[in-house]
Amino acid sequence: MDLFNIYNYLPEETVHQLVRVVLIIVISIPILLLLRGWARRFFTKKYAPHYGMLAGKVVFYTGIILMMITVMGQLGISLAPLLAGAGIVGVALGFASQTSVSNIISGLFLIAEQPFKVDDIINVGGTIGIVLSIDVLSVKLRTFDNMFVRIPNETIIKTEVINLTRFPIRRFNAKVSVAYKEDIEEVRKILLDVAEKNKHSLSEPEPQIIFEAFGTSSIDLDFRIWAPVDEWIHLKNTIQEEIKKQFDQEGIEIPFPHVSFYTGSESKPLPIELVKGAEQFSSEADQ
Amino acid sequence: MDTDIWGKQSLEEGKTKHISVGELHIWLKYRNEEVWITQAYNDEIKRKADLDQPPKDAEWSRWAHKNSSAEVAIQPVFPDKPLVIHSEYSLKISPETQIQIYTRIPVWIRISLADNDYQLTELPSVKLSRTWFGTEIEGELCYHAKTKARRDLSHVDKKPYLVSCPIKIVNKSVEELTFSHFCFRVERLSMFYHEHELWADETQIIYQGEDLHSEVIMTGKLHKGITKKQLLSKPRKQVHKSLATRTFKRFFKVGPTN
Repeated sequence: MDLFNIYNYLPEETVHQLVRVVLIIVISIPILLLLRGWARRFFTKKYAPHYGMLAGKVVFYTGIILMMITVMGQLGISLAPLLAGAGIVGVALGFASQTSVSNIISGLFLIAEQPFKVDDIINVGGTIGIVLSIDVLSVKLRTFDNMFVRIPNETIIKTEVINLTRFPIRRFNAKVSVAYKEDIEEVRKILLDVAEKNKHSLSEPEPQIIFEAFGTSSIDLDFRIWAPVDEWIHLKNTIQEEIKKQFDQEGIEIPFPHVSFYTGSESKPLPIELVKGAEQFSSEADQ
Repeated sequence: MDTDIWGKQSLEEGKTKHISVGELHIWLKYRNEEVWITQAYNDEIKRKADLDQPPKDAEWSRWAHKNSSAEVAIQPVFPDKPLVIHSEYSLKISPETQIQIYTRIPVWIRISLADNDYQLTELPSVKLSRTWFGTEIEGELCYHAKTKARRDLSHVDKKPYLVSCPIKIVNKSVEELTFSHFCFRVERLSMFYHEHELWADETQIIYQGEDLHSEVIMTGKLHKGITKKQLLSKPRKQVHKSLATRTFKRFFKVGPTN
C-alpha cells in the first residue's frame, strides 16, 4: 500500500471537492484584495478618502459572502435549510445583538448624514481626535496625545459631535482684560496691530474687538481673529504671547482681581499708617 | 538695491554673495559642492552697515546636487496664491464703461540651479499678509495687497521688486461697479523685463453683475514697447486663457456676529 497516496484515505470525489474549495479560496482572496485596493484608490481619488474606505469594505465583504456561498455549494451544503434555520436563530440573535444592530444602523445614518469624514478632527463628548475610519460598528479616532479611541456608532448618533475642520477658516476668541485706567482706543490700535503682524491671522474676515463687559477688576474685551483651520492652534499659541509682549512694551496694564474699600460715599478713605518694624511683626505672625 | 539681479549668478567657494530685493535680503554661498542659502527681511535685521554677511543667528538651507554647480539663476515670479487687491480709494465704474488701470505687486524670487533649472527655493520680496476670499464655508486663501489703481505709470518711481500689471475692467452690467477690491489671479500671467522694470501681460476682467461670475481673460496683450523676446518668466499655470470666477463680489456679512 502506498502511504503517500491520498486516495487511500479519502474518496476521490472528496479529494476533488477539497481541491476545488482550496482553488476557489486561493484564487478569489487575492482577486478580492486587488478589487478592494482598486475601489479604495478609485473612490479616494474621485471623491474622498472616506468614500474610498467605504467602497473598499463593501467590495471586500460582498466578495467574501459570495465566496462562502460558492464554497458551501461545492461542499454540498444546501443554503435552504440554513436560511430556514436562520429565522429561528435570527430571533435569538436579534435579542442578543441589539447593540450591534443599533450600531450598524447608526453607522448607516452616519454614512448618509456625513457629519464628518476620514481625516476630519472631531470632538465627541470631550474626546478630540482625527477620524481614522468610519466602520460598520464604530468610529476610530487618534487623539493628539496619540491614543486610539473606538467610539460606537450609536454613541456618536446620540452625542453632540463638533467637527473642528469642516470649514476652511476658523475664528479664535481671545479674552483680553485691561485696567480701567487704560485708553480703550489705544488698546484697540495695539490689538489690531498685533493681529496684522501675526503670520497666522487673516486680514479678512477682519479682526474684531468687542467690548465685552465692565468687569469687577478690569474692562473685558473679546478679540476675534480668523485663521486657516490648520493654523488655528498656531494662532492661538502665538497671538496671546504677542498681546502680552506688546502690552508690556506699551505699558498697558493687565489687571489682577482687586477690591477697593470705601467707608461710605460721605466718608474719607480709610487711613493707612505704615508702622516701623512691620516686617518683623508679619514674620512673627506667620510662625 | 541691485537693479539687475535677474539672471545667472556665479558663486565662489567660500565667499558669500548678498542680494537685496524689496524688503528681502538673501545670502548665497557655495561650500563643499553644496549651495547654501539664507534670508532675512528688513524688520528682522538690526541696523547693520555691513550686509555682506548674514545675521549671526541666520539659519542656512543647504542643497546638494548630483551635478554640483556653483551657478544659480535668480528669477522673479508671480506670488504663489491669488492676491486680493484693495484700492486705496474706491472707484465707481458706470454701466457699459471700460477702464484701464495699473496695479503693482511685489514679486517672489525663485532661485534655481543655472544648468538644469532645478528649483531650490522661492521667497517673497515683501512679506504680504494673507486673507480669505470667499465665504466662511468656502473660498480660497489669498495674499492681501493695496493698490492706487493708477491710470498711468509714467511718472511713478521704478521699483525692481514690483511688477506692473495692466488690467482692463469692463462693466457689462446695467449696474454701477464699485471697485474697492478684487481678486487678482496672477498665476496665469507672464512676466517681462523692459527698461529695468517688470511688466505683466494684460488681464481683462468683464463684470457681468453682482450675482454672476466675472469673466477673467488673459489677453496676452503687452504694454507699449514690450516684445515677447523680453519674457523673463512663464506663468505658473499654463492652462485656460480665460476663466469665469468670483472676482469682485463681497462675501462676509458686515454687522454684529456672535
